[in-house]
Amino acid sequence: MAESYVKPGNQEKGWNDPPQFSYGLQTQAQGVQKRNFLNKRVPPPQLDGSQVSLPSGAPLPAKPLSPTLPLAPPPSTVVLPARRLSAVDCTALSASTHTECEATIEDVMGLLDWALTACRTTVKRQVCDEVSKRLTLFQEMWISGKLSSPVKKRMYYLAEELKKQNWDSADETHRSLIVDYVNEVSQWMVGVKRLIAETRNLPTEVLNAEVEGPSPKEDTTQNTQ
Amino acid sequence: MATYQEFIQQNEDRDGVRFSWNVWPSSRLEATRMVVPLSCLFTPMKERPDLPPVQYEPVLCSRPTCKAVLNPLCQVDYRAKLWACNFCFQRNPFPPAYAGISEGNQPAELMPQFSTIEYIVQRGPQTPLIFLYVVDICLEEEDLQALKESLQMSLSLLPPNALVGLITFGRMVQVHELSCEGISKSYVFRGTKDLSAKQIQEMLGLTKPAAPIQQGRPAQPQDHSFSSRFLQPVHKIDMNLTDLLSELQRDPWPVPQGKRPLRSTGIALSIAVGLLEGTLPNTGARVMLFTGGPPTQGPGMVVGDELKTPIRSWHDIEKDNAKHLKKATKYYEALASRSAVNGHCIDIYACALDQTGLLEMKCCSNLTGGHIVMGDSFNTSLFKQTFQRVFSKDYNGEFRMAFGGELEVKTSRELKISGAIGPCVSLNAKGPCVSETELGLGGTSQWKICGINQFTTLGMYFEVVNQHNAPVPQGSRGAIQFITQYQHSSTQKRIRVTTVARNWADAQSQIQHIEAAFDQEAAAVLMARLGVFRAESEEGPDVLRWLDRQLIRLCQKFGQFHKDDPNSFRLSESFSLYPQFMFHLRRSPFLQVFNNSPDESSYYRHHFVRQDLTQSLIMIQPILYSYSFYGPPEPVLLDSSSILPDRILLMDTFFQLVIYHGETIAQWRKAGYQEMTEYENFKQLLQAPLDDAQEILQTRFPMPRYVDTEHGGSQARFLLSKVNPSQTHNNLYAWGQETGAPILTDDVSLQVFMDHLKKLAVSSAS
Repeated sequence: MAESYVKPGNQEKGWNDPPQFSYGLQTQAQGVQKRNFLNKRVPPPQLDGSQVSLPSGAPLPAKPLSPTLPLAPPPSTVVLPARRLSAVDCTALSASTHTECEATIEDVMGLLDWALTACRTTVKRQVCDEVSKRLTLFQEMWISGKLSSPVKKRMYYLAEELKKQNWDSADETHRSLIVDYVNEVSQWMVGVKRLIAETRNLPTEVLNAEVEGPSPKEDTTQNTQ
Repeated sequence: MATYQEFIQQNEDRDGVRFSWNVWPSSRLEATRMVVPLSCLFTPMKERPDLPPVQYEPVLCSRPTCKAVLNPLCQVDYRAKLWACNFCFQRNPFPPAYAGISEGNQPAELMPQFSTIEYIVQRGPQTPLIFLYVVDICLEEEDLQALKESLQMSLSLLPPNALVGLITFGRMVQVHELSCEGISKSYVFRGTKDLSAKQIQEMLGLTKPAAPIQQGRPAQPQDHSFSSRFLQPVHKIDMNLTDLLSELQRDPWPVPQGKRPLRSTGIALSIAVGLLEGTLPNTGARVMLFTGGPPTQGPGMVVGDELKTPIRSWHDIEKDNAKHLKKATKYYEALASRSAVNGHCIDIYACALDQTGLLEMKCCSNLTGGHIVMGDSFNTSLFKQTFQRVFSKDYNGEFRMAFGGELEVKTSRELKISGAIGPCVSLNAKGPCVSETELGLGGTSQWKICGINQFTTLGMYFEVVNQHNAPVPQGSRGAIQFITQYQHSSTQKRIRVTTVARNWADAQSQIQHIEAAFDQEAAAVLMARLGVFRAESEEGPDVLRWLDRQLIRLCQKFGQFHKDDPNSFRLSESFSLYPQFMFHLRRSPFLQVFNNSPDESSYYRHHFVRQDLTQSLIMIQPILYSYSFYGPPEPVLLDSSSILPDRILLMDTFFQLVIYHGETIAQWRKAGYQEMTEYENFKQLLQAPLDDAQEILQTRFPMPRYVDTEHGGSQARFLLSKVNPSQTHNNLYAWGQETGAPILTDDVSLQVFMDHLKKLAVSSAS
């Protein structure tokens, strides 16, 4: 569950900076091998003695509209021939970004804390403390309104996937967040990354023993600091 | 019956090979008369989703001077379990594992559809990949912050078991010790003092201890743990490294007014190369240099720190006024060669508004197969996304990047190898296949490509050595085998073998077959690579003269005409696009340095000599598509006549995507018709080129610049400078029609070029 969007580039810093694609769009495009479809060329007026140096080769089916005044409006009744179905409309954002995140921080932290607690049984204390530090920072940023809605939503999704032991999906979600929202998440996301990595390596008994741990809606009173 | 076009395309799809000639002239003399050498573009790791690798070792010919790999061209005696090498004719027994083979039960490597096949081999320990970040901290605050974030992000994109290291530099060079506990330490080097590899390794404590115990540290087991204090597995060190990166500050040394920051890029790279050399030679590694300005101090400096002394331009170089050029280039070439010998590649990510010294440093990437990315700032989408794409994955979810490529070429005895042009170094492997004539990197039949991916393409040049009076049997074929060993991103060792063959033909009696099988697209790119190779050591005008001479000779050989009658000149269809390609090549930034800085020229050339045919052709002659109300998008002539008021043009030059709105379109857009519901189709028209551009923007490496412009816009020059100026201010009123937009230039047009070409080709005075 990554968003598909396109944002304009940074025109202030880079001349003709290209648009920025979300992680979701990029990975989708790169996995599929596409032949470059814009690859046709038109041969020049032939080397065949017809000295048509004047390039009338380009077809002109209708008289080109005069650029001088008065400006006639564009044709409004012409039906455009069917084109290739193109990817996401540049201007449209995925609908999900418009709605607010419904999950609360408690929901998310409950799930993440479940994983962290499970890790504490076998993973080095120092590593768990480092992860915990970053989760706390994440929590603080959420509460103080510093995180945008898409980040919150995706974090909830990530936490759910983590609980369901869908490791690859959780990992992919963390990647999509750090690519798309690096300035919001860079300080703490590596903790989440580590949490996913450590949790997935836990022996199954430990994970299953913890299954009865807090469910998404329960309040957790654990203070992992 | 497949046409030659289809044959050529099928072969490219299956084997990643495009030959200039697909029917080969059978004698040396005739081959030289063909003008375009017998040569091919070869993509060793061409993406083949339908080709599963096999899990066994390739079977080799037992002759020590041959060692060709068993392939579909070999004759097989299934009863006696023998096979005859098609290159040296040695009869070889099959290994015991092949006891069960028969006509009906062939191993994959004998089947014709497996002319390209990949083997996974188990050899030696699997070594992790290494990513060593070398980071310039003399950046503006905003830029440094953006770069830090990109580096932190990249830790999530690396292969999880990869080793990672960090060197930062400004006035001094700091090698950071990566540890999970306690205070972070670093070793500081002066940015001015050049050190040998041994000295660097000693100072970093990386040399093997003479005594078993050294300073309380137990003797390190030989090659057993692949990490050192400076290179740690990313899954262990990610949190600490993220913090370390967060804490990076701008270089603390103040930069006085009128001065550039002191940047010790040369020493930083030297330490990086030395660090990897000492700890982990011959494993896949990337040194990733991130720099925001030119080296201004120490060996490898490109310009001094006085701002009033500008960095060298082409003009300076021509006038021999580039003080540091020779010395700096030599310095980086030495580093690049060492890195290539070690199998490590060097990337350069250079983001600045002014030049950063790519001219001097380009060998670091060109010799090792590393990337060069050039942008205006680290805080741009161009850098961020291009950098993300370094870590892109294929359809199998595996990283595209691969390491330690070693390509060996074998030929049947009528052919020899003259050389290769691409991101590689020679391995100086002499042998019976090696020609004495050198084109590109010659004198060898083996090359090394330290950084390689599915798009890396080499130009390979061959010589026909058959004597004129030694007849070649009717229907016989010449063969070439490409054997590429490499380290896959999963750290597996793989071997890709491609074996191809083409018919010989007698040029005297069968010239029409040879002509029909000419691949003008491949020929154009292969000649272009030769031109760019020459341009590195010859004067620009000489290269153009050489290119023109080859074109005239080709037209004389293959054109149909009456002597001294230019109007009678014709070229057959298989040559019809070639002169146009040469016309655009002559005007391209690869051969024309006018209007580009030395860094820009280096950047363009770097990408040109490694891309596959389709992308290379786009660079030579950009693609132009026209969008209108009158029909679906269509390709149009790259000509000023294609610029019309009621059309939108999409031009792809590989480095830029330009969307140009004709005058009327621009006026409609300004008037806001796209917002009105009854003009929905205008909105769609405006959107169409954007959608098509998007597909290219999403996948291309490096990411192109994106220019959205219109008639009269200043950015329209990107389009105007590329189209054939058939109408200029000189000839506008000579034609009597007013279609198209005139270009203000004194460049010759394609028509004038063709007229001159025809005159010269038909002239009996040549």
